[in-house]
Amino acid sequence: MWSFVLGVSVLFGIIGCSNGDSASDTGNSGDGTVIEVVAKGFQHDFWKAVQSGAQQAADEHGVRMNFVGPKDETAIAEQLEMLNNSINKNPGAIALAALDTNAQLDAIQQAQSKGIPIIGFDSGVPDAPDGAVKATAATDNYKAGAIAAEHAYEAIKDRIAANDVSRIGIVSQEVNSLSISQRTGGFIDKMVELLEADSGVGQGKIAVTGHDKFRNDIQEKDAKVVIELRVPAEVTDAAGKTEAQALLEKSDIICVYGSNEYGAKSIINADDGLGGRIGITEDKVIAIGFDSGALQQDAIRNERFYGSVTQNPVKIGYEAVSLAVKAAKGEPASDVDTGVEWYNKDNIDSQEIQELLYQ
Amino acid sequence: MENQLENVPSQKNSWLKSITNRIGLQQLIILIVLFLIYGFFAFMSPAFRTSNTLTSILDASYYVGFLALGVTFVIITGGIDLSIGTNMMCAAITGGVIYNRFGAPLWLALLAIIAMATAFGLLNGLLVAKLKLPAFIATLGTMMITRGLSSILSNVQTETFPLRDSGDGWYKSIFRTGNNFPTGVILLLVMGIIAAIVLNKTKIGRYIFAIGSNSEATRLSGVNIVRSEATAYVIAGFFAGLAAIAYAATYTTIMPGAGAGFEMDGIAAVVVGGTSLSGGVGSILGTMIGVFIMTVLKIGLPYLDLQPHYQIFITGFVVILAVYVDIYRNRKKAK
Repeated sequence: MWSFVLGVSVLFGIIGCSNGDSASDTGNSGDGTVIEVVAKGFQHDFWKAVQSGAQQAADEHGVRMNFVGPKDETAIAEQLEMLNNSINKNPGAIALAALDTNAQLDAIQQAQSKGIPIIGFDSGVPDAPDGAVKATAATDNYKAGAIAAEHAYEAIKDRIAANDVSRIGIVSQEVNSLSISQRTGGFIDKMVELLEADSGVGQGKIAVTGHDKFRNDIQEKDAKVVIELRVPAEVTDAAGKTEAQALLEKSDIICVYGSNEYGAKSIINADDGLGGRIGITEDKVIAIGFDSGALQQDAIRNERFYGSVTQNPVKIGYEAVSLAVKAAKGEPASDVDTGVEWYNKDNIDSQEIQELLYQ
Repeated sequence: MENQLENVPSQKNSWLKSITNRIGLQQLIILIVLFLIYGFFAFMSPAFRTSNTLTSILDASYYVGFLALGVTFVIITGGIDLSIGTNMMCAAITGGVIYNRFGAPLWLALLAIIAMATAFGLLNGLLVAKLKLPAFIATLGTMMITRGLSSILSNVQTETFPLRDSGDGWYKSIFRTGNNFPTGVILLLVMGIIAAIVLNKTKIGRYIFAIGSNSEATRLSGVNIVRSEATAYVIAGFFAGLAAIAYAATYTTIMPGAGAGFEMDGIAAVVVGGTSLSGGVGSILGTMIGVFIMTVLKIGLPYLDLQPHYQIFITGFVVILAVYVDIYRNRKKAK
């Protein structure tokens, strides 16, 4: 009996001590406003950068900011719990990057009826009920995917002209969340547009295959260029590596694109197992990535990756909280496109680019 | 005269009998299944037939293989260890923190990985064998503890292990050399042989089987079942540490809070290999074959250009089929 009491007391003691360095309740409480930030994840370095930007904005505006996120981007139920908790705390405003708007509809409507403004960030809150989300601070992921496609096309257009059939592979972590779907979709649409305008290819000669979501009606055998989209069975290192490897081993592959850090990492891991098929010379497969991370940065520096697109996670966090503060005060807030940058071996170590990257 | 007549039919089957006497009928069946699955993929996909694919299969088999080897001991005692996956990743990320944040030499970080994983194995052993908590609950608890701990110790940041061409890239060559030779299979085989010797030829191995068959009778015959049962969990922890090093060598970056789900890969491999979840029966050879069946499926299914949901569905189907074959055979034997 007493050992139980002792055990529980010790447990509460630990919780009490650890609260000191948790992510919550930071920043000076200038006017007592609290901004609750519910992100899509917490593990990933990307979200740490978002958090630092959010903290910067919180400090500047003198508000308190609480940053939470679920274990990974498939934990929809966990994020819903966090959202409910945030709403119950009656904050000045909530910044939300929803994993699944439909699953969180009730909570969003409750926030609306309580008069708590919601600001979307990163992938935002797609299809939210009217008036619930005041503004969104995000990367235009569709445009970002298109930028990646433009750079990829420059690198491979001569090879496409010379080959009978060329294959472009895409490794996409999943096709549910809006941000990754847009980066994948933006790449595919822009690539198809560029190839249709290319005199050597033309309309009706590009087959989009692989995952059902983006498939088109053109058959591989009728196409001059095949764009193959691969989504791993589970979001693990092993599954991503396997899908990337299956792409890299196809005889007609000339380019691979990973639409987030996990996709890029999978391509790098797969290439390690194949003895170095990606690179920037004529005989190598062109690899394009997204976001950063230590492995991807190293691949860029070593000319294994042709180049990558990076978001501005610090700005996303910063603008999310800034917009939230405006909304909490009842001021008008409008969308902010936080922008992307293309980086490769030439500019990766410049200060502007390094500020956007993370390890 | 009669003896000679009786000898003729049994001579025809004696080669089959001698094989099954050596490795067991279940193991023979799943070995055939493994070759059938591999052959099917090789037939369906030319890209599957390359040596790179074989190296890939082996690459993916190391961490699952070590996890499965270790947890075989636990399952034979009639217990279960749900924490092996998160224990592995917690140890791996701690090694990364020690190497990156504290600047320790790599060999020290690798030793720390083994030590930490084994320590959590010991914790599991104490909880289950000494304090008599049900294994499912106890290891579910340590699973959550190690998962949270990995985020706490790493300050929720990814740890990147040294790259192959850096000065400290030697640890990768334990599992795959720069020329793509799968050296890891040697380590896996050696550890498998050691595990088999411990399980089948030592006293502790016999006690582990005995506990799984009838722990009360074993206790009454004077065996210290607390020590023996706890040892099974310590072994599982130690192998989780090896698995952690294999994972870091193969995938380089370790994310915090990861690992949940890997224990199921290990346990599924053990069960497919013929080890019964109710304890008392099992073999290392069966586990190894089970590991390769699961890995070949995982690596091979994408080569069929199947959508990811079909891949997981088929894998689950194969697991159920394998377990059913085992149960069916045991039921037939009991009749």
